Amino acid sequence: MSKAYIATWRSRLFMAVMVAAFAVVFVRLYDLHVLRGDELALEAQNNRRSVIPLEGRRGNIVDREGNLLAGVRSLVQVGVDPYLFTAAHREKLPELAQILGLPLAEIEAVVDRRFRQGSDGQPGRAIRWAPLAVVNDEVYDQVRALGMRPVYGNRRYERFYPGGSLAAHLVGYVNREETAVMGVERALDFYLKGEQGWREAELDGRRREVVAFRAREVLPRDGYHVELTIDQNVQSIVEQALSRLAETYDPAGATIIVSDPRTGDILALGNYPSFDPNHFNRFPIENQRNRAVTDVYEPGSTFKIVPVAAGLEERLVRPDTMIDCETEVVRYRGRNIRLPSDTSRLGTIPLTRVVSRSSNRGSAQIGMMLGEQRLYDYAHAFGFGQPSGWLLGGEVRGTLHPVRNWDGLMISRIPAGYAVSATPLQVHQSMAAIANEGVLMAPRIASRILDADGQTVLDFPSAERGQVVSAITAERVAEMLRGVIGPDGTARRAEIEGYQVAGKTGTSRKIINGQYSNRHHVASFSGFFPASNPRVVITVMVDEPRLPGTGYGGLVAAPVFKEVGEQLIHHLGIQKPEPTEPLFVAR
Amino acid sequence: MARTVSNPTPDLSLQFLWQRLPALVLISVCLFLCLVGLLMLYSIGHAHSGIGPGIFYKQVIWAGFALFAFGVAATVDLEWLRRWSVPLALIGLVLLLLVLVPAIGLKVNGARRWIPLGPMNMQVSDIVKVSYLLVMAHYLADYRRIRDRFWQGYALPIFLVGVPFVLIMAQPDFGTAFLFALVGGTLLFLAGLRLTYLIPSAIAGLVGFGLMVLYDPIRWQRILSFLYAEENRSEGAYQLWQGMLGFGAGGVAGVGLGNGRQQIAFLPEAHTDFIFPIIGEELGFVMTALVLLAFALLFVFGWRQLDKAPNLYQYLLCGGALLFVSYQALINMGVATGVLPTKGMSLPLISYGGSNLVATALLLGLVVNGCFHWTGTKSIRAREVKG
Repeated sequence: MSKAYIATWRSRLFMAVMVAAFAVVFVRLYDLHVLRGDELALEAQNNRRSVIPLEGRRGNIVDREGNLLAGVRSLVQVGVDPYLFTAAHREKLPELAQILGLPLAEIEAVVDRRFRQGSDGQPGRAIRWAPLAVVNDEVYDQVRALGMRPVYGNRRYERFYPGGSLAAHLVGYVNREETAVMGVERALDFYLKGEQGWREAELDGRRREVVAFRAREVLPRDGYHVELTIDQNVQSIVEQALSRLAETYDPAGATIIVSDPRTGDILALGNYPSFDPNHFNRFPIENQRNRAVTDVYEPGSTFKIVPVAAGLEERLVRPDTMIDCETEVVRYRGRNIRLPSDTSRLGTIPLTRVVSRSSNRGSAQIGMMLGEQRLYDYAHAFGFGQPSGWLLGGEVRGTLHPVRNWDGLMISRIPAGYAVSATPLQVHQSMAAIANEGVLMAPRIASRILDADGQTVLDFPSAERGQVVSAITAERVAEMLRGVIGPDGTARRAEIEGYQVAGKTGTSRKIINGQYSNRHHVASFSGFFPASNPRVVITVMVDEPRLPGTGYGGLVAAPVFKEVGEQLIHHLGIQKPEPTEPLFVAR
Repeated sequence: MARTVSNPTPDLSLQFLWQRLPALVLISVCLFLCLVGLLMLYSIGHAHSGIGPGIFYKQVIWAGFALFAFGVAATVDLEWLRRWSVPLALIGLVLLLLVLVPAIGLKVNGARRWIPLGPMNMQVSDIVKVSYLLVMAHYLADYRRIRDRFWQGYALPIFLVGVPFVLIMAQPDFGTAFLFALVGGTLLFLAGLRLTYLIPSAIAGLVGFGLMVLYDPIRWQRILSFLYAEENRSEGAYQLWQGMLGFGAGGVAGVGLGNGRQQIAFLPEAHTDFIFPIIGEELGFVMTALVLLAFALLFVFGWRQLDKAPNLYQYLLCGGALLFVSYQALINMGVATGVLPTKGMSLPLISYGGSNLVATALLLGLVVNGCFHWTGTKSIRAREVKG
């Protein structure tokens, strides 16, 4: 049939173009459906399929009385959808700003920013939710009461520490990425964190779950609770004492440890400076250091209990053995060795006074009676130069050189607590061994793992590390240590009225630029009471106290021992010993 | 047997039916496409989280109106209609102007395209399609006599095409304006617009189009996101990419009606501009190919019937009507498959939208009208022109 109205070439050209257009779409359909079908189908499925993790609730950390030290609270992240924002909503902004406690201008800036920055400077995709503030349920209820549809929140759970900085170095913290960083949180993370559950589901275009296509679900298991040996009240007493100490002496650092000598239970452990785990990022990182186990000092005179106990145990000396503390040079193994000096002339005095007056020369001579190997063996047995078994990690061993590395002077220096280094915890534990009839205990910080119903899942029993000296030797040392607090001793300020206190001061000069400094000291006091039936061991260690004159342990640390000890009497109900009871049998 | 010249009873002979067969085929194809559309809207309405099952029932009601419009357009006397071409064109012009008046035109998503009529809204550009075709066909029917004159042969036809183009652009509705220009341009080309006019105009049009796109960041972004669909899958080309995934997910046979997952909020316009990928996902290559073939059949079959038209006016009127539907279908499917840059245009007879369904029914009614009545005899007037 002839094309009556249209020029043939025009009609044909047009028809060809149209047929080609249909053909192109057809080929493209074949390409998408058949040739690339599998590839595209897989991507479509990956877009939708998603494994949604279900978080188990993290377990609590409680003290020995069940008081909460670390828990979980629910928070609401409040945000705004700028896209839905209208003039009517804008009128309510001042109210919202007041509830959230934010400056009005800040909220307005968030609301007015409606588009993301595109790659080429052009406005990118619309912002459909921008965060404003994290609030608790109470504040969120107020926000909802405003009735602003574009302002809503997402619930989330957050670790929180009700005591703030209380026991911060022990409890540790969990950071914003839910990673346990330090302390019990990290060491016992395995028990605390629980098991993640998961749910395989399909998401829609806005990444929300389409419940109808929920495939499989494994429920999460909540974490276990951890019970510590810490007593919240004792810890609080310790931390108050630390802050007073810091106010008075402005030290570089300080540590107080309180424990039960029989079990090794740490009742309190505090360090200055400290931090608040709720706001850990606002504090210098070094505040997070648990100085009780990470920092080493030359212990000084507190170490003297080692040669004295060893000498008694080896029957080299008795409490009444007379020692000449005037001698300056002693011939030892064919060499003349110069003894360290004492602060005052003491003359020839019995061993008891060597201890109470803390004579360096006296203890050096006992060390020489023992000899290098026995001195080393006893120091080792008391826990020096070894890990104490601190559960929370980060512990250093300190330094106790093996005998083959000793130079000629060390036999006279080590008995006075120089040329060895130890952590405050090691000093504390060695003193606790004296209080515990000569048995060295491992420090115990966690007592139990509990499930959600409060049933015990796992016990952390007390652990003995060994009998260092006999019970009788320990008793005799304790008796001598009572003299330190007596009228003639170095630690009269540690006296607690009505109780027999045993303890030892320590004052060591710090090595600054390779030389012992006369101005930088570590002042310490480690002791226990009641001496006959010890209930608590308390160690106070103050690094670089600032005061005119020497920061003696008896001056700086002993009063803190007394302050803490007196408060513990009431709190722990420590009984005075019967006055008729003979404390020590004279031998 | 003698045949009487005037037989009062309707002629139901085989010959009569053979002559009307093309019209019947066209009607069947249209019904098929309509049914596919309703099926898909039922599926989408019941599965899509943001659309709801109401669209199916609304579309069924609209289909009733469309059937009525189809009937009217298929039975009206086309020559009688020609007399009304100029008044109808003026009415169309008034409507296009009215919709721009803020008090009358309804603004949706930043564009004034609708005039509210009681419970429903009328998309003006849909209704104007018919009067636009009428006036174009009316004017170009005698085109050969005047094609060499600049004003009558070039300026006035360009003006006829340009007025609705500019007014629809002002709404703004870039896609529909483009469609009008494309249909008008094709009619001019077929009617015999001289190449000395056509080629410079086409070049000027392309340059103007290019400049417009370049200086409109949103449109430029669309072009870019079309060219780099995979790279832009999460931003500009999001819907396009999700649609293409839909075709792949469907494979050859589809995942089954109502089982499509792409439509569930991945494609916000699953029921309108992006219904084709949903067909692809749920019913597979089998159905998308069938739909494409149906549109191709509609066009090729319809176009072949035009040769029987008694005059150029009817030829251009019915041809233009077919072009409106075919171009729209091609652009929609081209966009959905990523062959053409993103352009909001619904799939005729299938997408949700009452006013477009009614307009499509009117246009197809005109085509069927021609097929039904033409017997292949040219009118004397047409022969005159040819001579």
